[in-house]
Amino acid sequence: MTELYQALAQGLLIGATYGLLALGMGLVYGVSGVVNFSHGDFISLGMFMCLALYSAFAMDPYVSIIITVPLMTAIGALVYIFLIRPMVGHQFLMVVQLTLGLSLVLQNGILMVFGGEPARTPSFVESKLIILGDVVLRVPHIVAFVVSFALAIGLYIMLRSTDFGRSIRAVHQNAHAAALMGINVGRVQVLTFALGIGILALAAALLLPGTPIQPTQGLRYTVITLLVVVLGGMTNFVGIMLGGLIIGIAEAFGTIYLDGPIGLLLPYIIFVAIMLFLPKGLTWSSAR
Amino acid sequence: MLEIDNLVAGYGGVPVLRDVNAKIAAGEIVGLLGANNAGKTTLINALSGMVKPISGRILFLGEDISKLTPQARVELGIVQVPEGRLVFPEMSIRENLLLGGINAHARKHRPQQMEKVIGLFPRLGERLTQSAGSLSGGEQQMLAIGRGLMAEAKLLMLDEPSLGLSPLFVQYIFEIIDRLHADGLTILLVEQNLNLTLRHARRCYVLERGQVAVEGDADTVKNDPRTRSAYLGL
Repeated sequence: MTELYQALAQGLLIGATYGLLALGMGLVYGVSGVVNFSHGDFISLGMFMCLALYSAFAMDPYVSIIITVPLMTAIGALVYIFLIRPMVGHQFLMVVQLTLGLSLVLQNGILMVFGGEPARTPSFVESKLIILGDVVLRVPHIVAFVVSFALAIGLYIMLRSTDFGRSIRAVHQNAHAAALMGINVGRVQVLTFALGIGILALAAALLLPGTPIQPTQGLRYTVITLLVVVLGGMTNFVGIMLGGLIIGIAEAFGTIYLDGPIGLLLPYIIFVAIMLFLPKGLTWSSAR
Repeated sequence: MLEIDNLVAGYGGVPVLRDVNAKIAAGEIVGLLGANNAGKTTLINALSGMVKPISGRILFLGEDISKLTPQARVELGIVQVPEGRLVFPEMSIRENLLLGGINAHARKHRPQQMEKVIGLFPRLGERLTQSAGSLSGGEQQMLAIGRGLMAEAKLLMLDEPSLGLSPLFVQYIFEIIDRLHADGLTILLVEQNLNLTLRHARRCYVLERGQVAVEGDADTVKNDPRTRSAYLGL
């Protein structure tokens, strides 16, 4: 039983951050129809920025977000304006190709600067634990869970009750009508992409403590994010957060109960199983 | 108020509208008629800034607006109620109305505007939290017009407001249009329904293959044989 609780707790905690990663991707897909295959490499970039700030100024990852979030948001805006926007409206595959290329550029850029050795970025909470009965929880995981959920709720409120949030939803539901309302559709698309990348900078700091990082890890994060977004029905807010939790739990169960490769495969097996029965993902129309 | 001067516009450099000239005075209700594919929707999209002009000018209150973005035109008060209504289906009536008044100019006065719109369409006021997608076609048309009014329109351009509505709703919507006109709003009414438009618009333009085929007051247009031929495509 202890193992079960341990796996559940660990999975839930990490899953919330997966949900947050996927919300960024879902928002961007919703307003621009772009699926960003370099998503995970931007997470990587965020993590290595934290590493650089630690090496240079001994800055804790939780503090570095003051720098990485604005910086990555700006990078996101520039990438959208100069690289992605010229492609939007052409073949869907051209945008996919572009973001895949961007993924390789980021990955190799990081490799050039930081080298290929796995690296770690210490944090003051890194080795702290909280013990509840038989379940041992790592403090960084708890921080990640709380911050991810708080951010998800913040995003939800922003989408529901601010003009910017309503503009995002309007562009998603009908871009032509949104333009007729006087909404600058292009601007909403840039800002949403920038916001999505900015969120990744935060998520990077949350995932970082205690996790060894290497330049090639981006693809793994991209794939996890894609699983979660597809599970959540691409643009369904609640569905995506739920998808994050499911993938997080599947991953924890896989590593705790199953040995080796099969354990690592479990999230994908669960994903395929769910998609077989619910091809539209975990959506219900009222929750949009 | 609005002056269209030798306008040529279309998609991808291929003109749909060829040398269109038209005028709308302040407080007027003008009909824009024509068969399918005559260029009616292209014309109001050119007025909204959704279709870029190839040549010619559009003057609004004496100012050349043909290079302005759609947003800038909405802020000036040139507001389109699109064909097919295009309400935001997954948002509530209230949110749809708020989006109608999202432009920088109208944003400050949204609460007052919303009261006015609800006064005009009490049925919308009764169900502000209901999602727009669950409304009937007629109710969606009310919402689309209400949403346009939220933008503090000076020139309201209605694209096929009667499309797909029951006769009772058509009558209701046109009563509202008459009322808005009586209150001083300038209206451009784009319609396929010839007789209906001629009953409500004082002056009309008939488009045929992207050109103005007939223009004049309702009676002139009604009796001009070219009007019928424009419709029958003869």
